[in-house]
Amino acid sequence: MSLILRNAQRAVPLRRAPLRFSLDIARSCLKVRNFDLGIICVSNARIRHINRVYRGQDSVTDVLSFPFHEDLNPSLLPIPASSDEYNLGDIYLGVEFIYQQCQKTQEDYSSILTVSHAGICAVHGLCHLLGHQHNNPEQWKQQMLEKETEILKEINRVTGSKLTPLSTNHY
Amino acid sequence: MFSTLSRALLSATRVAAVRPQQLLSSLCTGRSFSRSLCLLGGNPGLRQTFLHPQRGFPAVSCGCGGLHTEGDKAFAEFLKDEIKEERKIQKHKNLPKMSGGWELDINGTEAKLVRKISGEKIAVTFNTNNSIPPSFNEEPQEGQKAEENEPELVSTPNFVVEVTKLDTNHTLVLDCHYPEDEVGHGEEEEESDIFTIREVSFQPTGDTEWKENSYTLNTDSLDWALYDHLMDFLADRGVDNTFADELVELSTALEHQEYIKFLENLKDFVKC
Repeated sequence: MSLILRNAQRAVPLRRAPLRFSLDIARSCLKVRNFDLGIICVSNARIRHINRVYRGQDSVTDVLSFPFHEDLNPSLLPIPASSDEYNLGDIYLGVEFIYQQCQKTQEDYSSILTVSHAGICAVHGLCHLLGHQHNNPEQWKQQMLEKETEILKEINRVTGSKLTPLSTNHY
Repeated sequence: MFSTLSRALLSATRVAAVRPQQLLSSLCTGRSFSRSLCLLGGNPGLRQTFLHPQRGFPAVSCGCGGLHTEGDKAFAEFLKDEIKEERKIQKHKNLPKMSGGWELDINGTEAKLVRKISGEKIAVTFNTNNSIPPSFNEEPQEGQKAEENEPELVSTPNFVVEVTKLDTNHTLVLDCHYPEDEVGHGEEEEESDIFTIREVSFQPTGDTEWKENSYTLNTDSLDWALYDHLMDFLADRGVDNTFADELVELSTALEHQEYIKFLENLKDFVKC
């Protein structure tokens, strides 16, 4: 099934192929390559709008996930009732915000964003689409951190990068 | 993604359903040319006379041999005002520059941008004719003037990118489009690519005729990974979202410039 990537922002340049490559590794790790997935790269203004409308938080952020399935169980894959339901949902990447974060930490944007940081954010979003949460330390450790680490380890192995989970010390 | 797509389809259906009703009002709120058509249409006396010009406008002559009617005179006066108004709202007296070292060559409504980088020549061509998509603007809300609701006209032409490897003289041609909802007011346009590649093929270098028997890759049924590589290929050659935005600005300015020129020619033609 398809991974559809949209670059709907003008603020920063974005290389699509390396981002897709990382995400394909993540999809294989999670055994969800037979599900559709949408990745939409947006500006600060757009992600802030989405954050305000859907989460009631009037602030810019790096990643927002919108699962297709309800009642997700992180230890089980969604069970589609029809072919139309082979869909995980959409992930919005605030690439302008990610770019600004990279600038703050003096990281090289072109290598960090495409292969690394946006990839890390997308992996985090993908875990959310499958029901992994990080609302408390225990949940973070048992669900999100474990899964993120597993996927990023595989991406690091294939690409030779040194990615660390987005949710490190974050719950 | 599917849910997003179905939302887009639903909104398109809604637009289609209300369009017949909105057609006249959209004419009224479009560029001043269309606005003026509405003003003329709003005067029953004039409308009647237009239907029977032989009664309302007796022919006069200035000696040039052409037919001159009172209607022609009114038309020329109207065009004079129209040109004045258009000049007033003209954003760019000179065409805006594209960043990235592109050289611009203009031939009427056709424009060509060229740059050379490391043994490659990249040429982008577009035509401003029919490049302004219809606007589906909503009725002005209570207390809002029609002019406030008037959408800015934006030219979003299809553009063709030709990448020529100078040593082999092979040219790869990519046909690019702006999504049709790009100038809409819904939320969908903020979630689509700024521009898309529709077709890719090899064409003879420097030939203006499109070789129909060259294999043409249609991106509708293309593997998405290949599509992303094509987009990155263009971005590496300076054709990215920033370029696409600047091209819209350039094309809009060029289209407006040509529109004013057309009105001037029309005025001169009608006058004598």
